[in-house]
Amino acid sequence: MRDPALSRPPDTALSVRARGIEKRFGSFSALRGVDVDIPSAHLLVVLGPNGAGKSTLVRIVAGLLRPTAGTIEFGEAHPEKCRNVRGQIGFVGHATMLYPELTARENLVFAGRLHALDNPAERARELLAEEGLEAWSDRRAQTFSRGLAQRLAIARARVHDPRVLLHDEPFTGLDGAAAERLAERLERLREDGRSLVLVTHDFRQASRLGDQALLLANGRVAYRAEAPLPSASELDEISRHEAARA
Amino acid sequence: MNEISDRDLELSFADKLDRAARPLGWLLAVLAIVYAWTVAMAPIDSIQGPIQKILYVHPPLAYGAYLGFVVTAFGGMMYLWKDQENFDRLAIAGAEVGLLFCTLMMVTGPIWARGTWGHWWSWDPRLTVTLLLWFIYLAYLLLRAFGDAGPRTARFGAVYGIVGVLLIPLNYYVIEIFGSRSMHPENLERGSLGDGMGLPFLLGNLTLGVAFVWLLVRRWQVENLRAIAARWGRPEEDLQ
Amino acid sequence: MRVALAVLWKDLLTEWRSRDRLVAMAVFALLVVVIFHFALPEGTGRQIASNAPGLIWVAYVFTALIGLNRSFSQELENDALSGLALAPGERGWVFLGKAAANFTMIGTVQAMTAAAFGLVFDLDLGSVALELAAITALGTAGICSVGTLIAAMAVRTRFGEVLMPILLLPTLVPVIVGAVDGTEHLLETARIPFDAVQLLIVVDATYLITSFLCFEYVLDE
Repeated sequence: MRDPALSRPPDTALSVRARGIEKRFGSFSALRGVDVDIPSAHLLVVLGPNGAGKSTLVRIVAGLLRPTAGTIEFGEAHPEKCRNVRGQIGFVGHATMLYPELTARENLVFAGRLHALDNPAERARELLAEEGLEAWSDRRAQTFSRGLAQRLAIARARVHDPRVLLHDEPFTGLDGAAAERLAERLERLREDGRSLVLVTHDFRQASRLGDQALLLANGRVAYRAEAPLPSASELDEISRHEAARA
Repeated sequence: MNEISDRDLELSFADKLDRAARPLGWLLAVLAIVYAWTVAMAPIDSIQGPIQKILYVHPPLAYGAYLGFVVTAFGGMMYLWKDQENFDRLAIAGAEVGLLFCTLMMVTGPIWARGTWGHWWSWDPRLTVTLLLWFIYLAYLLLRAFGDAGPRTARFGAVYGIVGVLLIPLNYYVIEIFGSRSMHPENLERGSLGDGMGLPFLLGNLTLGVAFVWLLVRRWQVENLRAIAARWGRPEEDLQ
Repeated sequence: MRVALAVLWKDLLTEWRSRDRLVAMAVFALLVVVIFHFALPEGTGRQIASNAPGLIWVAYVFTALIGLNRSFSQELENDALSGLALAPGERGWVFLGKAAANFTMIGTVQAMTAAAFGLVFDLDLGSVALELAAITALGTAGICSVGTLIAAMAVRTRFGEVLMPILLLPTLVPVIVGAVDGTEHLLETARIPFDAVQLLIVVDATYLITSFLCFEYVLDE
């Protein structure tokens, strides 16, 4: 299994290609025919009003949800079920996926062991240092504030150094310094060659970080843009416009 | 555009089921009449009296009762493997039709028992296993009912179907060997078939077998139509 | 594999820190024993002794229901279940870890319950303690294997707490029959009941393998 030596670019790039993604919940269509391309060393920003299907899309790419129709391909491999690439995907969702009775360190160690790392304790130590959480290493997760928990959740997603990272509104609850740190980390990860997806309502971060922007409204792609992305205010404008139209 | 052709595909399958069911329905009607006639005409058992005639109905029901769950498990496994919703609909059909047959078994059995040797119930191995099967059916259907109507529930159902179908031989084995020891070992006397009893029995097997298949196909069709209606609204043309 | 051990460690550690499950199960089990004492008429010692195996297993099963229920509800708290679902490799190992944790916890409570039973009903369990533990372990393995699988499903279904016993109890009939028969045989003759042991091994193996393989589908959303 991989040595958790970090900040080392992945050996081979891993891109993501989703075609015709549909998701229905009973009679409700959350996603209708969404196509997404995320090359390596690339950050895709996903925008859209609440209920547009952003979280659903990200969960499908992560392999947590099965689409009703459509395919997802990773890298060169032919469309396999996400099962084969689970080890390459990191996911930060709305919930932290943390165990309240375990300490920060223990949570990370557990995540590391789930991913069969050789030295999860070492990796946990590294991540805690990187995220500036050392002071809370041995405090139980249930004592954490929203922001701290979020930072721990983000660290948890990176435990196995995945080549594809999906973040669903990760800036929620983060204070200025932490948000800045996250933004810098995302940029560095992108430079390292990873494929990143960022769902956010923060247009400033979106405009700054994104190589590609996707606006979802009512389950469809209403707007696409490549780098250089429009400014934050322009994105805001477009978003309102599309939301009103849908 | 895509949506319309999907719907047509689904409708055409429901149509196929409908077409398959019709000749079966006619066959069933004919068989049922002949069957009822032969049962009525069959000689009355000297020892047990007219109630013995339930024996022409009770054992054949077993096929439907047990086969039902096999269908459910099969549908579930195929669903897990192929990820096609139609198999899940087959699983549901199997469970409901199987439950019907199983319930009828649970009703006719005690009636016969009461009529012949005065007890409504006994822990005879076969009756016990059938009772347990009945509970498994119920559990399966409750699981489906309580879950939301999505693929996750279908998957859970499939898993439980697999566990359940393994349970049937396990239960049989266990209760045959162990159950009768600690529980009252009353034996259900299966009266041997005398003259004139062979034909109705044979017909019983045939008729109830056809009934099972017909009900299964119809129920599968209904489930298909239900799914179509849920997704696209009621179809304009009436499917007879 | 390591994933199973990790899950086992995590579950036991979490339980140790909060102890809520263990306490609930222990209290419940003791209450059941006490209620049995009041519910059963003042029969002769022999009468009670002959019913003891059945009663003890009833107590075990109901206690297990409580433990199994909670085993996955902790995973729902922060959507930690998705964390488990995202782990690479065979999901069956997660199942094994969970089942092992349940086994440990339920087993602990069972030992206590057996002691309580022996006391209240004046049974001599000490002389066959080891064999009794073996039979109980076999029975509990069966309960925990299919029980963990079903708990994982029930926890994400409406009325899961009510549904779980409905789903689980029919599947436990082979286990209970074997375990009670074995316990009975053991208490009467103080020798290992090979028939029952064989049966339990077959049932356990079937359930373990099936649950291991099916768990893949149970963690999907």
